[in-house]
Amino acid sequence: MTNFFPLPITNVLAELEVGEHLYWHVGNFKIHGQVFLASWVVMGALVAASILATRNVQRVPSGMQNFMEYALEFIRDLAKTQLGEKEYRNWVPFIGTLFLFIFVSNWGGALIPWKLVELPSGELAAPTNDINTTIALALLTSLAYFYAGLSRKGLGYFADYAQPTPIMVPFKIIEDFTKPLSLSFRLFGNILADELVVAVLVFLVPLFIPVPLMLLGLFTSAIQALIFATLAATYIGEAMEEHGEHE
Amino acid sequence: MLHIALPTILAVEEAAESGGLFDIDATMPLMAVQFVILALILNAVLYKPLGQAIDERADYIRNQRVGSQEQVAKIERITQEYEDALSSARREAQDIVSEAQAEAQAVASKALSEAQQQAQAEREAARGEIDKQKQAAIATLDAQVDTLSQQIVKKLLGYELS
Repeated sequence: MTNFFPLPITNVLAELEVGEHLYWHVGNFKIHGQVFLASWVVMGALVAASILATRNVQRVPSGMQNFMEYALEFIRDLAKTQLGEKEYRNWVPFIGTLFLFIFVSNWGGALIPWKLVELPSGELAAPTNDINTTIALALLTSLAYFYAGLSRKGLGYFADYAQPTPIMVPFKIIEDFTKPLSLSFRLFGNILADELVVAVLVFLVPLFIPVPLMLLGLFTSAIQALIFATLAATYIGEAMEEHGEHE
Repeated sequence: MLHIALPTILAVEEAAESGGLFDIDATMPLMAVQFVILALILNAVLYKPLGQAIDERADYIRNQRVGSQEQVAKIERITQEYEDALSSARREAQDIVSEAQAEAQAVASKALSEAQQQAQAEREAARGEIDKQKQAAIATLDAQVDTLSQQIVKKLLGYELS
């Protein structure tokens, strides 16, 4: 599956390479170099923006601090609605990083002209259009909510699987598998599909026509970041929720 | 077109040998580790300092609001105190004025009654004097009437009675 589209592709900017990777070998393992390169750009941008924002913290914010405070307030509100006033503070770093990383990755994939950088194989794009990234994020989310549930209730967390009736046990167990699966495939599918649609349209009609779809792609990207972060927060909140006699 | 200089420790392989959309390999755990590191870094440089700034600002605003509410209450209290003082002073002034009026009234009526008494006494004294002089005049007249009538009788009778 080296070339997904059996079309005569000539235009460099519209060239489609799906499922091709720039392989790096680390020990015995193979990793996707283009994903890491793009993710380093994203992480560098996030850390740089954060350092710029907090270099000189003022009571009356301005410029970068104001912008990042806006972002942080947004994340805090998101976490607060899902986790409640008491618990949300500990989870802001995880949920916030999920949101920021996915959002900046998605928008970076759509807005940065990666095509100008030529790699020996594969192409630079949003880190989130690689299944490995999304699975990594989804599994971390699973770990996070298991940790939240277990640290809150101990092994009693698994007893809650039988709430409100024992019939729920198999469904709850299946849920533990479907949650990361749906999280990772939703994000991966949306971002990849968006990039493919834009690429195909650019290939067919190189001028103006793809612009509305690109805008739609930006919208989808933002929504996907929000959905991932919100769902992660919901799962964590669900795991910490008290059942039975307390409520 | 740019070429990316790749780290030399990493052996680069041309063209994918397996590849594919669902090519899951060591990228996944490494990405997870990378993400956790990113979360830790952002926690240190973003969430902690900015969260603290936001919380401190919220505290500051709350404190300022409580402080200004206290000040408003204090101002209202002081205003009330001044108004109370003002009305009591006004009442006092009225009391003083009415007292002074009453005193003046008393002094005036006392002087009037004294003057009346004095006038009465003088009038009494004058009346007593008049009566006395009248008695004296009547007594003198009586005596003269006696002598005159005896002279008249003597003259008529030619002798003296008794």
